Amino acid sequence: MSANFVAPGQQRYLRACMVCSIVMTSARFREEGCPNCEEFLHLQGSPDQIDSCTSQVFEGLITLADPSRSWVAKWQRLDKYVQGVYATKVSGQLPDDVRTSMEEEYRVTYIPRDGSVTEAD
Amino acid sequence: MASNAPFQFAGDSDSDDDNFNPAPADVSDDENAAQSSKRSAEKSTRRGSSPAADDDHSDEEEEDERPSKSASKQSRDAADNDEEGDEEDEDDGGAGRHGDDDEDEDEEDEDDEDDDDDDVQHRHRRKRRKDHRAAFFDIEAEVEDEDEAEDDEKDGEEIEDFIDNAHPDDIAESGHLDDDRRHRELDRRREIEASMDAEKQAEILRARYGKRAPAKGYGEMAVVPKRLLLPSVDDPGIWAVRCKEGKERDVVFSIMRRVEERAGSKDEVPIISAFERGGPNSVMKGYIYVEARRQNDIMIALDGVLDVYPRTKMILVELKDMPDLLRVTKTPNLEPGAWVRLKKPAKHSGDLAQVLDVTENGLEARVRFIPRLDYGVRDDALSARTADGKRKRPGMPGPRPPQRLFSEVEARKRHPRYIQGNPQTNTWTYMGEDFENGFQVKDIKIQQLEVKDVNPTLEEVTRFASGSEDGTENLDLKALAASLKDSNTNVAYVPGDVIEVYEGEQRGVIGKAVNVQGDIVTLRVMEGDLAGQTIEVPNKGLRKRFKTGDHVKVIGGSRFRDEVGMVVKIVDDRVTLLTDQTNTEVTVFSKDLREASDIGGQGSLGQYSLLDLVQLDPTTVGCIVKVDRESMVVLDQNGDARQVMPSQIANKLPKRRTAVAADRNGSEIRLDDVVREYGGQQRQGKIIHIHRSFIFLHHNATTENAGVFVTRAGNVNTIAAKGGRATNSNSGPDLSTMNPALKRNPTGNGNGMQPPKTFGRDRAMGQTVSIRRGGYKALMGIVKDTTDTHARVELHGKNKIVTVPKADLIFKDKVTGKTIDIYSRSGRGGFGGGTGRGGFGGPGDRMGGSRTPMGAGGGERTPAWGAPKSTARTPAWGRGEASGSRTPAWGDGSRTANPYDGSRTSYGDGNRTSYGGATSYGGGSRTPAWSSSAKTPAHEGFGHGSKTPAYGSGGSHDPWGSKTPAYGVSAPTPGASGADSWGYTPGASGGSHPYDAPTPGVGLGAPTPAALNAPTPGAYSAPTPAAISAPTPGAWQGGWGADAAPTPAVGAPTPAASGGYYGAPTPAAYGGAPETPAASGEIRYADDD
Repeated sequence: MSANFVAPGQQRYLRACMVCSIVMTSARFREEGCPNCEEFLHLQGSPDQIDSCTSQVFEGLITLADPSRSWVAKWQRLDKYVQGVYATKVSGQLPDDVRTSMEEEYRVTYIPRDGSVTEAD
Repeated sequence: MASNAPFQFAGDSDSDDDNFNPAPADVSDDENAAQSSKRSAEKSTRRGSSPAADDDHSDEEEEDERPSKSASKQSRDAADNDEEGDEEDEDDGGAGRHGDDDEDEDEEDEDDEDDDDDDVQHRHRRKRRKDHRAAFFDIEAEVEDEDEAEDDEKDGEEIEDFIDNAHPDDIAESGHLDDDRRHRELDRRREIEASMDAEKQAEILRARYGKRAPAKGYGEMAVVPKRLLLPSVDDPGIWAVRCKEGKERDVVFSIMRRVEERAGSKDEVPIISAFERGGPNSVMKGYIYVEARRQNDIMIALDGVLDVYPRTKMILVELKDMPDLLRVTKTPNLEPGAWVRLKKPAKHSGDLAQVLDVTENGLEARVRFIPRLDYGVRDDALSARTADGKRKRPGMPGPRPPQRLFSEVEARKRHPRYIQGNPQTNTWTYMGEDFENGFQVKDIKIQQLEVKDVNPTLEEVTRFASGSEDGTENLDLKALAASLKDSNTNVAYVPGDVIEVYEGEQRGVIGKAVNVQGDIVTLRVMEGDLAGQTIEVPNKGLRKRFKTGDHVKVIGGSRFRDEVGMVVKIVDDRVTLLTDQTNTEVTVFSKDLREASDIGGQGSLGQYSLLDLVQLDPTTVGCIVKVDRESMVVLDQNGDARQVMPSQIANKLPKRRTAVAADRNGSEIRLDDVVREYGGQQRQGKIIHIHRSFIFLHHNATTENAGVFVTRAGNVNTIAAKGGRATNSNSGPDLSTMNPALKRNPTGNGNGMQPPKTFGRDRAMGQTVSIRRGGYKALMGIVKDTTDTHARVELHGKNKIVTVPKADLIFKDKVTGKTIDIYSRSGRGGFGGGTGRGGFGGPGDRMGGSRTPMGAGGGERTPAWGAPKSTARTPAWGRGEASGSRTPAWGDGSRTANPYDGSRTSYGDGNRTSYGGATSYGGGSRTPAWSSSAKTPAHEGFGHGSKTPAYGSGGSHDPWGSKTPAYGVSAPTPGASGADSWGYTPGASGGSHPYDAPTPGVGLGAPTPAALNAPTPGAYSAPTPAAISAPTPGAWQGGWGADAAPTPAVGAPTPAASGGYYGAPTPAAYGGAPETPAASGEIRYADDD
């Protein structure tokens, strides 16, 4: 039932999507892809893609129970995403080609989640 | 949500089919093509003309990648329909009806959408409405609700797809028809697109996707600046709730689980979100933050969740603080060359490593570090552990091998099969690990690296630097600097520091720190528009400011710590300074500097501080002349300066205040005396350490080795002795201090004759004197006052007080006017011994009444005379001039006479030695005659009498005998005939051929024993006569017997020699004794008493 729960023993397999910062186990990324970004990241069934577009290095977990009503979600720009566990900071950089294609083809503005933009605001 | 995801993907996979599906569809192409083309044309006009078509339009586009999920769902449902039960049926029907509803609703919506751009709002409204209507359909409502709750967005899309693609009439039909049509449509569209020119196509594409992205919502988020997202009062509140430290993540996941488990049930978790900002170094650990409308919601939501304590006091986070809760700071990127510490391979945890390369996504780094290999030495232990399954953990209990560069040889010893590599490039693979140039190279995840506050020490870094095979130093100071700079945290500003702001709005402001509180520094601005104002600035973005010429001290961070110097150049925050100590230029960060008030003086390193004397190895000592942060420079006893680590120092030698050495002239030198090198550079310095024959000197005039240099004690002349000790370079060693006799009985006969020094009031006071020298010669007066050397004499003839050397005074009896000796007249304490012998002194009386003790003195003198005193002096003597002074004492009559006559100095000298006895003797009469006579018997004695044996033995070839004759010879013309060895360089002769040496003392003693011997006779003679008398005879006897020397006198010396103790003196003493047997006998008796 609770798909987003990850037992402590499994937490070392957690990865965070570099685009939407959702945190899931790598197995789940492989099986289901990223619930928010699958459209352009194509993580499902592709370990390589998971490797390059998700990161093991993240911090500050957020449980989003109600993304649409949450200020936290709004602030983190997660308010259009699905319910789940997200990270406040995801280290790592999206590969350039993925980033380019996602910005040009899908018109999705990539917000780096590693803290490099928040400083600018 | 969980159920949706796979579902969605199923749809996606369908979309792939689209591409090749058209083929079978071609069959009916004719018929449908026309239709669909018409439709598409229609649509395109709509698209072009009315914005209201937005929805359709976007849906249309989605066909490519997202071939209406609803459609596929429907088709699947339809297929299922046939085979499966009622429930499914109902479901389907529900869906159908739902679709129906949506259609209506959507049509209405389309109108609204024209002016309503906000997607979210739109959907919400729709949802609301839907819910509203759905209330009529029980079963469906259930399904629908769940669906929507989980994925609002997707649901909406689905519905939209419905409208477009599936005509209400077609809904009941199976999906694949629909599919076909769409495939054909797609084909057609592609044809049309292909026929258009590229530009137009691009335009269309842009129009298409340009619209589409915002519709998905991503772009929009990026557009809204953060400041517009700041929380308002309408937003939910955030409470901080205590939780168990380290369990933050688990708590967040537990909450997630609870949210999901209770979703849709009666007791839905009422919170909106929860987050943590834990982590070992976070200030926010131990809390989770929960976003909710009411505090009570949190109580409900968290009740019973492990490790979180909602019942303790919850803190409501203020609005303005909320963004800070989610602040994210970028982890600095690792650059190749940077220093890090390893966390992960447990064996290497804490080890320093250098980054070689960083992967593109910045999550992994290739680092090199010094391996810890045991090359299989402990293999057995390991395998034992691995045998029972998973016991072998990377945790690696037990000691870890030391860090050592990889050695191919070692590796081959035990594991020849596990090593392969290329000796040329020096790269190896051993046990699955890579080694390059001795370093282990490994890809390590960034979270397993300690990037901040690495603080590599010089010692560690040098190990990397020296690893280069060609031996060149490849130390990348820049990277090191960067690593050090990272540790910004330990920049400490103190009030008074001049600080410059180099970052942020206040950039360029210069001020003096007046207060520092945590990270906030309060500055009083010194320059510019703000001058005089006080501003507060965060620690970050500040740097200390110095001016060229400032005198600064390095306070930390770099390996130049504690260097003091003058600023010569400033570039940004790098300051170059010229150090005081070494006059070298060093560059450090301004944060590591502080205005210096003190100069030069290095601190200390552990227990070692500057100028300490340390033991380097059993035979080498050195003086610390420079203390660095981790090493020090030591000037060793050979004059070599070497750099050592504290670990290389065996121990520190405590400063011995009492250490004494003899300078070139034999004068004693002690700590803090100022001496000058003899010859060479004639360096001069103050003695800071004396170690065996080496002395370490310090001089302020040179900076080399901190002004310290080392030389041999025998190579210096005393310039000034501390505390004004007598340092007459001609006086030789102060024998009185070497003379145990004097030490043991300081007032005995030691200074007996020394006129001035007396206890209590100077006897000269009030005496009537006549002056025998100088301008007041022959005048008489009364001594009014005295010092050690001078007397103030009130003249009788003139009303005047003059200062005259005491030596120039002749004391007169007030009544008789006869010349008197005020010092000797009354027995002095020191004379006790002598007095004791007074009885015996009788014989002495023949010389002078009062001198009685002197008789004894004669007795004792004799021994001194015999050999010892020569021995005594021998060392000094050997050295040269010094002998001059002594010689008289020892020497021939003529010389002796002089000192007696001349001055009391020689007197004094004589006194100091046992010879002094003789002197006092002589002193009594004050005439050389006496002394000569005194000597004469001695000579004579030697010559014939008791000493004759010596003489005789001399005749025989006994070594002693050899001396004796020398003596005998010397008697006539001691200096001359004594010739080279005897009179003049007894030391030398003694040293080279002791037995040949003319004088027993010299001969026996060689220089050193001679020194010992010298006092001995004194000791014998005066202080412990008993001791003397007792042992000596025995020795004498024994010696005699042993040597079978013809005469006891000879015998005496011999045993002494063989005894090795008193060497010459003893026999000499005896020799003396026999010479005046009565006397000696007396002595013994006296002593025995």
